[in-house]
Order: sequence, then C-alpha cells, then structure tokens
Amino acid sequence: MNDTPLGGIRIEGLRKVYGHGDTAVEALRHVNMQVAPGEVVGLVGPSGSGKSTLLKCLGAIIEPTSGRMTLGNEVIYDNGWKVKDLRALRRDRIGFVFQAPYLIPFLDVTDNVALLPMLAGLPNAKARERALELLTALDVQHRARAEPSQLSGGEQQRVSIARALANKPPVILADEPTAPLDSERALGVMRILNQMARHAHTAIIVVTHDEKIIPTFRRIYHIRDGQTVEEAGEGRALEDTAPLSSP
Amino acid sequence: MKTNPQTSRRLLLGGLALALVGALAFVALRTGPLAPVKVQVTPVTKGRVTPEIFGIGLVEAQRSWMVGPTTAGRVLGVRVDAGQTVQPGQVLAEMDPVDLDQRLAALDASLARAQSVQRAADAQLGDAQARRTLAMANLKRNEELARQAFISPGALEARTQEVASAHAGVAAARANLGGSTQDIARLRAERAALAQQRSNLRLLAPGAAVVTAREAEAGTTVVAGQAVLRLMDPASLWVKLRVDQGRSAGLAPGLVASIALRSRPGETLIGKVARVELLADAVTEERLAMVAFDSLPAGVSVGEMAEVTVQLPAAPERLLLPNAAVVQHEGKTGVWRLTDGVPAFSPVVLGAQGLDGQVQVLEGLNEGDTVVLYSQSALKPGARIAVVDRLVPSGAAR
Amino acid sequence: MISLAGRDILHGWSKYVLTGLGLGLLIGVTLTMAGVYRGMVDDAHALLANSRADLWVVQKDTQGPYAESSSIKDDVVRSMRGMPGVAAAANVAYLTMQVQRNGRDQRVMVVGMEPGMPGAPGYLVAGRHITRNHYEAVADVKTGFALGDVVRIRRHDYTVVGLTRRMVSSGGDPMLFVPMKDAQETQFLKDNDAIVNDRARTAANPAFNRPGSPGLLEAVQSLQTSSRSVNAVLVQIAPGFTPEQVAGPIRRWKHLSVHTRDQMEDILIVKLIANSAKQIGMFLVILAIVSAAIVAFIIYTMTMGKLREIAVLKLIGTRDRTIAGMILQQALGLGLIGFAVGKVAATVWGPAFPKYVLLLPGDAAAGLVATLLMCALASTLAIRVALKVDPGAAIG
Repeated sequence: MNDTPLGGIRIEGLRKVYGHGDTAVEALRHVNMQVAPGEVVGLVGPSGSGKSTLLKCLGAIIEPTSGRMTLGNEVIYDNGWKVKDLRALRRDRIGFVFQAPYLIPFLDVTDNVALLPMLAGLPNAKARERALELLTALDVQHRARAEPSQLSGGEQQRVSIARALANKPPVILADEPTAPLDSERALGVMRILNQMARHAHTAIIVVTHDEKIIPTFRRIYHIRDGQTVEEAGEGRALEDTAPLSSP
Repeated sequence: MKTNPQTSRRLLLGGLALALVGALAFVALRTGPLAPVKVQVTPVTKGRVTPEIFGIGLVEAQRSWMVGPTTAGRVLGVRVDAGQTVQPGQVLAEMDPVDLDQRLAALDASLARAQSVQRAADAQLGDAQARRTLAMANLKRNEELARQAFISPGALEARTQEVASAHAGVAAARANLGGSTQDIARLRAERAALAQQRSNLRLLAPGAAVVTAREAEAGTTVVAGQAVLRLMDPASLWVKLRVDQGRSAGLAPGLVASIALRSRPGETLIGKVARVELLADAVTEERLAMVAFDSLPAGVSVGEMAEVTVQLPAAPERLLLPNAAVVQHEGKTGVWRLTDGVPAFSPVVLGAQGLDGQVQVLEGLNEGDTVVLYSQSALKPGARIAVVDRLVPSGAAR
Repeated sequence: MISLAGRDILHGWSKYVLTGLGLGLLIGVTLTMAGVYRGMVDDAHALLANSRADLWVVQKDTQGPYAESSSIKDDVVRSMRGMPGVAAAANVAYLTMQVQRNGRDQRVMVVGMEPGMPGAPGYLVAGRHITRNHYEAVADVKTGFALGDVVRIRRHDYTVVGLTRRMVSSGGDPMLFVPMKDAQETQFLKDNDAIVNDRARTAANPAFNRPGSPGLLEAVQSLQTSSRSVNAVLVQIAPGFTPEQVAGPIRRWKHLSVHTRDQMEDILIVKLIANSAKQIGMFLVILAIVSAAIVAFIIYTMTMGKLREIAVLKLIGTRDRTIAGMILQQALGLGLIGFAVGKVAATVWGPAFPKYVLLLPGDAAAGLVATLLMCALASTLAIRVALKVDPGAAIG
C-alpha cells in the first residue's frame, strides 16, 4: 500500500453482509480502493457485482460490516462509524452526481446549487456567490435564474455537477453520469469532471459501464462478486483545452 | 438577470396575501364586537311643540231612546220600521190592553149608576127641605098658640121636635148627596187612571227621531223595561272619544278636533270637544270625552270607529328634541350627550310632547348640544362611537 | 437558509391556493356554525337586556313569558307599583304571529308595551317612538319594514313610525312593538266568524238569554270579546334593593311566579337553546374532522409527489428535521390561508343568514389555534412517509 497522499479517499478491506444466518448475502468481500485528490477513477462492473453497495458505503448511506474508510485525513469508518453526523458528512464532504440531474424543481438553478452551502450554515448571499462562481466555471451562468425545467438536459447535468461541488467536498461520487447521453455529450461530461477535479482538487469516483467513456480513465477499478481489482486504464485524452460547449 | 414570470408570480402572490391579511384586519376591527358603535346625532334646537291628543272612539247618538212598555205585556202591533223617521208624539206601537177596555166599560157603567144615585140623593134633599119648611111653619104657629095657652106645652114640644127632626133630615139628605157626588168623583178618578193606563199601552215617539231597531213584533211578550223599538236622533251623532289618562292633559270642552272615520279613510272631518266626562274608565285607565261634528256627514252609522286628534293650544318656544333621543339609563330618563365625541348620560326633565315625536326639554340641556339620536346598539358611558349620516339607508327596505 | 416550504408553494401555487380556498370555505362554515350558536345565545341576552327589566312576573308555576305561555290580569301591575323596591313596573304582551306586508306574510313577535316603560325599545335606528295610543308600530329592521309602511295585524292597519335593531325573540323572530291595548285585542280577540259563532252559541243558551233579564245577553257577549289579560309584568328594581328582596314578597303575597334576570337567562339559554347547542356541537366536530382529513390528504399528496426530491435531499445531506419542517410549514401555511379565507367569508356571508350570526374574536382566535393544531396533526401522516424514504433510492 502506497502512502496516501494528503486528501483523497482510501478504502481498506471493506466488507458488507446483508441479512444474517442462512439468508446472509455477502455483497462486498474485501474491497480496497484509493483515489488521490484531483484524480478521476472509474468503477466498472456488471449489475449485481456490488457497485451500488460500494457506492452507498462510500456515500455513508449504509453502514459497512467491517473495514476502514479514510476521507481526506480523517478516518470516517473503522469497523464502526467514527463520525457522529453522517448527514453532515454527506453534505460537506461528499458530492453526488446521479444518472439524472435530479435538480429540485421548485428551486431555481442558483438556489439548487446554493442549497448545500446554505444548509451548511453559509449566509444566503455568500452561498449564492459561490453558486454563481461554479455556474460560471461550468458555463451555465446565463441560466442562473431559470427553473430547472427550462434547461436542456446537458445544462441540467452541468448544474448538478456544480451542486455536487458546492460545499467543496474532497470526494465526488458519480453514479452512471453518462448513461443516457450520446458519445459527444458523454465525453463532454467527462471533460468537465476532469476539469473540475483538477480545478478543485477533488477525488472523483465514476461508477459506470458506459463503453464510451471507459477509455478516458487512467485507472479503473473492476468489481466482480464483491471484490475489486485495480487496473490501468487507457487514459485517452480529452480535449480539455478546448472551450466547454453546451452539449 | 431576473426572469419576469417568477417575479411577477411572486408579486401576484404577495399581493394576494396582503389583500387577505388586509381583509382579515378589516373584518376584525370594523365589524363584530370590536368595532365602534355607529350612531346618528342631532343638535338640540328651539321650537314649538304642537301638542295634540289622540284617541279612538265610537260614533254614538247623543239622543237615543229605548221605547217599551212599563209593565209586562204582549205587543199588539208595531206601526213603524227601522229606518223610518218619526215625529214627536207619533204612535209607534201598541201593547195588548187585555181587559183594560172591558174594565173601562165597567167603570163607565158604575159612573152612570153613581150619577143616578146622585140624582136620587138630590131629590131626597129637596124632600127633607120641604118637610123642614113645613115643620118650621108649624112650630111658628104653635108657638103663637102656646103663648096664648091654646095648646098644651106637650104639643109645643112635639112641634119643636119635628123641626129638629126636619133639620136632621135635611142634613142627612145633604150628606147623602155629598156622598154620591164623592162617589162620582172617585169613579171618575178611577176611570181616569184606567184610561191613563190604557194610553200608556200606546208607545209614542218621545221626539223627532229615526227608528234604529225594531225588536219585537206583534204577539211578542215583553217585560217591563224591554225595548220594542230603539230610536235615535240622527242629528245628534257624536264621537265618544277614549284617551289614555296619562296623555290627556289639556283635554277641555271647546277644543278643535279632526275626526277620521274608519268608513271614510282619507277624509278628515272637523269637530269640537263638546263635553269631557266627569267619570273616567278606571279599568282601561282612559278618560272619556264627547266630540261633536261641525257638519254631520250623511250615512254615518252608530258604532263606527273613528280616530280623533284634538288640537291643543301651541306651547311656547322651548328646546326641542325628537323623542327617539330619549333613553332610560339606570332608572333615569335622559339623553346621551356628546362631549368631544364621547357619549355621556345627561338626565333631562321633559315637557309636553307632540304627536310628531318632538318633545320639550325643560331642564338638562343647552341649545346647540349634540345628542345621540339613533344608535346601533345600547350605549354605555364612554363607549367608542362612529358618527354616520344615516344608520338606515332611506328608501327600499329588504 | 431559504424556505423550502415557501419555494415549493410558490412553484405549485395554484393548487395550493385553491386548496386553501376550499379549506377556507369549510372553516368559514365551521366559524359560521359557532357564530349561529353564539348568535342564539346573544339573541337570548339581547331579549333580556333590551326589555330593560330586572324581574319578570308571570303566571304562577310557569316559566314564561318566553319559554312558556303565561297569562295574568292587567291590573296586577298596579299593586306592583306600590311595593317597596319597585322603580317601575309595566305590562307586556307577547304574541308570535304572521303579519301582512305588501301581500306577503312575515313572521314577527308582536310586543304590546307602554312607551318609556320596561318592555319598550330602549333605542332606535330611525324614526320616532310611538306617540299615539293606537295603530302605530315600531319595527325591527329584520322585518324588512321601512318607515311609513303599513302593517296589517288582524283587523287594524298599523303605521311603522320607528325602526330598531337587534330586538328579536329568543327564537330569532324580529319584534314589532305596538301599544299595549292593541296587543291585548290582537291576542285575545278572535276573527269575525268566530265571534259571530260565539254570539249565536251564547244566544242559544237559555241561562244567558232569559226574557226576564234584558241586557244580560249583551253583557255576557261583551264579556266574551273583551280581554283584560297580559302575558307578564316587567319590573325595574330601585337602587339599593337586591332582586330577591323585591321578588320574595311578590311570590308570597300575590300568588305569582317571579323570575330574576339570572333565572331567565338560565331558562332561555340552558333550556331553550340546549338542543340546538348539542346539534351545533356535533356539526362542529364533524366539520373539524372533515377539515383535518382534507388537510391531511392534500399534504400527503403533495409529499408523495416529491418523494424523489426528498430522497435526493436526504442523500445530499439535508437533515430529517429540515424536511419534516418543510412539510409542517406547508400544512400550517394551508391552515393560515384557510383560516383567513374562512374568517373573511364568514363575515361576508354572516348577515345573509336568517339567524343572527355572531362572530366573536375569542372564537376566531380559538378557531385559528384549532386550525393550526389540526394542520400540524394532519401533516404527521406525510411527515412519517417522508422520513421513511430511503436516501439510497436515488442511487441505482
């Protein structure tokens, strides 16, 4: 095991068993993962391989059975949660990007992004400032006052990415973010993720089985039957110097 | 850069919310128990009250009679009918004399016989007088003879006695005559009495009148005091007026009155108070007065209802108030006077009141004071009020 | 922090506002029902207060003159006036009947009274008090009569010379004040056919129609058509005397029943109104349950439509209590809108009710608290659902 660079996320020996006795199911056996800040890794595996379970453990949604999870410099799980407030953990230290944008329909774009900082206690004005910064970085600031329903799919996706970044979390978990997209747009999303990762020093784990984007990862974790195997990816370059265009 | 629909939506909803809150505040403060009491006020002014006395009455006939027999009997015949005019002394009806006529005849016969007896007594008197004359002449002769002692004293005595007897005889005959004369007088008196009774059975009209009711027909038995016919003098119709005792101040004969008969709505007749009865009605607490018509209209029935308003002399000028402003508070009579817009109870002493509702204020207020005339609810001292022009909109009711 | 509840409402405002309106009408009905009850109690209070009496003297062993019929002689009042502690005493007659106005029948309570005495109206809203002793009337505005209208009661026509407000019987019928003698005649004099019939019957009776007694028949017949009765005597007590001090001797010496103001209130409010009060109470309970059900349903539906958003919110780190608070705020907001609409609606349509609707501020405040409590309670169903949502549903 290499020394973990400062920040990032590290998982050692994670195990998750559902149920007990005869009906026990071992969803995760012995998972090891490590992602450095600024790095974008892929987590690839067929359905039923434990992807979702791993994601939920990483997202502090369910409690693992045993193992160890370190986020940034803090051990958040070591055979038991080491943090008291899981909600705050999710809010402040983990960002989520979903298959669909899942924006809150009754908040406008800015407030959708500013919601998390507000929940974290930031004054409304400051939270909106930060939101606007992120929206500008993602080139959707011209939609700042619009309702989510008025945006195109790609714009919504970018707003959801901005929301994930709003509280400057050390790690972002992306669950099939490109599944419904065509290859051009899918690559566009990956481009953005890579840019944001570098820009904010965020570790990003992308759960996917989308063949279109797998080649873009430098490192990939394959998961099968509850176990992960690290593998080097193609690391195909994305035209990251080209200006972001709205898909 | 704001999107217009959202802002306008916020403005719209904000406006609605504001309107709702405003409506709520309005209903809380302006209606219901928290709201001020609405009142209408009036100033106290000087003026004259035209006092009048109002009462209702019945048309009666001043002169009316019940004509009937003085003893129980049977009606023989009725000569007049209701509605007929009769003259004084006219025979209206006759009662059955029964045996009166026969008794009169019997008395006539007795009278004739008594006259015969009188004639006999008269003759007897002459007879006695003649005997006396003879006896006296005899005595005189015999006295002469006795002086000459031609007859015995006994014979003279006998002659003297004959004279005395003759005197007595005359006296007796005279008395008989007197007695028979008295008898005739008695019989005449008896006959006159019977004739009087007989004439009593003819019912005569006591004055010029109109027959108003025919209450018995020929053959009906009536008792003493029962009416066979009722008469009234149509020119003597007047109104028997009943006035509340408490509101009859100033009622006196001679006052002008306006009479409204129930059968002639809209027509006002003029009359005068002819008499104020000395006896009032204690049960109904009313005073009675008789109001005569100045010119009696035709076709007025006895028993008709009338509404009479008697004019009293105008009162001197004093402070006046409409009686709607007068209220009772804690047992005292007074008004709610406004000082700086706050109502306070002022007791007053009231004077005469006119039928139009204006009442004199003798004490308690000054000219120009503002008092509460109408109010939505009973006032208390210091209550919050709001003065309005009209409490009840004039014109259409609900 | 922004208000999630507010934003959600703003987003789907039409449904929310319409529901608020519907709830408001329901609450308005509830407030109106409570107002009807208060109005009935106030009618009774108004009846007692406006009569300006401290004691009601009625026929022995009756609870009249409002709850029961009572008949006493009209000269009883004279002996009242001389008793110690009596400041004023007056006869009154009450008669609920239909009178004619413009060819239509109108139900009123005809009150026979003497102007200025207890029983007469204490204040007017138009016109003047009665000055003539016959054929004038003062009417309550609820009868619909205007000044100058002519009212036909039995045989006579009465001119309306004054108007009053809130002079009603305990049943809510508006009052029509007429002079005492006219009321006596109205109450006891029958219609012409009945009188003719009575005369014929009396004439056929040999006991009254004797030939030896002229005038007997007329005397008996006039006795039948005259009336010397009234329903009650109203007594005002002089200062310095208690009601019992004055009532006691009357009860003992005059063989009458006397009710004080408190006793009359008990008779009218507790006994007369008790039935209606129960009915209204049941109605209120039912309406409250229905309103709660509606609020619960609407909030539940609104929440069910947001399950995915709730899952996302929970996942990205929103606290349970923030989400519960959002739902509760929406329910309370609904309650506030409903209450405001209901209060305004009840005030607007209250005067149109045939019965007097009295909306008290205390009732409104209690209604507001009850509405908010009910909404809070109704929201618990939706809150339970929201809290059970699994944040992991957003993933996979």
